[in-house]
Amino acid sequence: MIDFARVQKELQECSKDVEGSGIRVAPKSDATLARLVGTIPGPIGTPYEGGTFQIDITLPDGYPFEPPKMQFSTKVWHPNISSQSGAICLDILKDQWSPALTLKTALLSVQALLSAPQPDDPQDAVVAQQYIKQHQTFVSTAQYWTETFAKASSRGIEEKVQKLVEMGFPEAQARSSLESVGGDENLALEKLCSG
Amino acid sequence: MSKRVLCKFFAHGACLKGENCEFSHDWKAPPNNICTFYQKGICAYGSRCRYQHVKPSQSQSSASSSSTSAQQSLVSDPAYPPHPSCTSSSGVALVPVALTELSASSRPFILPKQPAWKQECDQHEFLDDDDVGEPTSLKPADRPICSFAAAGDCPRGDKCPHIHGDLCPTCGKRCLHPFRPEEKEEHLRMCEKKQKHLEVLKHSQEIECSVCLERVLSKPTPAERKFGLLSECDHPFCISCIRNWRNSSTTSGLDVNNALRACPICRKLSYFVVPSVLWYTTKEEKQEIVDSYKAKLKSIDCKHFDFGNGNCPFGTSCFYKHTVRPGSYIWKNHRPPPRKPTPRRSDAVDMDPFINRDDINDMAGLLEDDMDCNFPDDDLDFDEDINPLNNLSPFEMAFMLSQMGFDESDSSSDDEFILLLRGSATISVLVSSVLGFILFFSLPCFNITYKPTSSLSIEHGCPVSLQHAYRDGRLEEVVLRHLGNEDGQTVIAKHISCARIDFCAVSALLKYAG
Repeated sequence: MIDFARVQKELQECSKDVEGSGIRVAPKSDATLARLVGTIPGPIGTPYEGGTFQIDITLPDGYPFEPPKMQFSTKVWHPNISSQSGAICLDILKDQWSPALTLKTALLSVQALLSAPQPDDPQDAVVAQQYIKQHQTFVSTAQYWTETFAKASSRGIEEKVQKLVEMGFPEAQARSSLESVGGDENLALEKLCSG
Repeated sequence: MSKRVLCKFFAHGACLKGENCEFSHDWKAPPNNICTFYQKGICAYGSRCRYQHVKPSQSQSSASSSSTSAQQSLVSDPAYPPHPSCTSSSGVALVPVALTELSASSRPFILPKQPAWKQECDQHEFLDDDDVGEPTSLKPADRPICSFAAAGDCPRGDKCPHIHGDLCPTCGKRCLHPFRPEEKEEHLRMCEKKQKHLEVLKHSQEIECSVCLERVLSKPTPAERKFGLLSECDHPFCISCIRNWRNSSTTSGLDVNNALRACPICRKLSYFVVPSVLWYTTKEEKQEIVDSYKAKLKSIDCKHFDFGNGNCPFGTSCFYKHTVRPGSYIWKNHRPPPRKPTPRRSDAVDMDPFINRDDINDMAGLLEDDMDCNFPDDDLDFDEDINPLNNLSPFEMAFMLSQMGFDESDSSSDDEFILLLRGSATISVLVSSVLGFILFFSLPCFNITYKPTSSLSIEHGCPVSLQHAYRDGRLEEVVLRHLGNEDGQTVIAKHISCARIDFCAVSALLKYAG
């Protein structure tokens, strides 16, 4: 059985320190605390800088005596993170888990993993090969992926609003519909057309 | 109902009922304080009694008259100076026992002639002169100290006829008897201990379990309000969390020896968890907790050992008591009973197939299973370092060896049997220990003839006087001594008594061989 009291405490603890760590954890839906979404900022001084990465968290029944299952839902170019599925290769999420770790500390470790890739123990062999052999290419690819996938929600919104305004919709309406569908241009357009 | 009796809580300054209290909150009202036990001559508290010791003769003499006059005589008769405590403000309740027995049952209550408040003033005048008079006849050490002052506050202040005790530096009350040094020391000692305990408790209240993130002592059920002390580090957990963690299944891919037995915070390995209601601040306190826990367990009989009928996987390092009951298996056979039916090998000669890594691992698995499911409901969470052979007690080793191929001999007649270890039967036992050393020991050929009353002959030509070598569970000694010998051929065995061989000696030999 999941210790929900502890999860609640962790969420509170985490929300207190959002400014300091930049790490957020929120339940995916109001129905259950077993599925959460974590958000980490890309570490400064890395190709991931400026990006905001979302991680799907599923708490197993044995939590906190079993590690939480974490997976990037934002696409990342990193030797230890699958570029396809977002699976994370990190020891503390597997055999080195300890019940004294929390969601926040686990996410901090993931953040640390972003700034310190370990290509010797890769999750994604292609990325790891590139990291070792063509480091420059790796950096630019990672930057490109960050730019494309991890920043879309924040900076891209202005461009999308601009686009919709050019199509002839009023700016306020375009903005609100974009927000309501979570930043998806096509859905927003549909919504604007229908309503 | 009139408020006759002084409220005890009020007297100690802690009555919560205040105005609504049914007992008197009036200092001036003479307290109903007669010790009835003293009047019967059996007060166990003696001079330390907090109730007044009034001689029964006083009240008996007044009881000879009618109850009305008794009331009056108490107040006014100079021949029997009324002790304040044997009078009462209302005059109804406060009749000494002897008087009550004589008169109260046969007569109706008679109200005092004077209203209570007037009487009170009269009596109060007696209070001071009388009280001072009585105790002076006693030795200072026999005089009681003022209980009001001891409780915190004496309303009579300097005028109090009783001795006011010295101030206790720890509890801040005037409860130290100035003329009884032993009592004083006792109090000081107790007080300090109590204070220390309170401080530790207060400190413990604040401690949070690092797993459930709750304060351990604020958990809902009393069983949960316990710390689980790890033997090797000082990180606080509640007992249920740390046990849960150490018992959590290996399905999640966690490593039993490294992850689960380690402290969740510092990852230091601890082999046992000690439950405690208090958290410690110093190493000594921790040691004290651990020692008292172990001492407690040592007084409980091990249920695995079962008075010699069972097989305790912890062997000599078990925390519980191992008592061999006369008539039990160990008593009769000098070795623990078989733990689980292991696959029996009927072939005494061909021993090679048995001794392979898989079997050793099976043994390890067996041991480990036992360890892990051990003591599911009691306090012991004792995780021995698990290694198949490293931890085998001499008995277990003997048992294992016996399982390797001596089955026939075991079941053969008691008079004579032959142990055959043929030339080709080379035992190669792979012992992997925590230290990582690998020990190979091989048994070259030798035949052992066992005769219970005579000697044990060994084919290589040195008959050795050896009794009950096998049935004592001593075979391992034969083998080990054999290994320890330089030429590796001769078995040296001395006469072996029934006493147990020291495990240290065996492990020393093992090391030597390794």
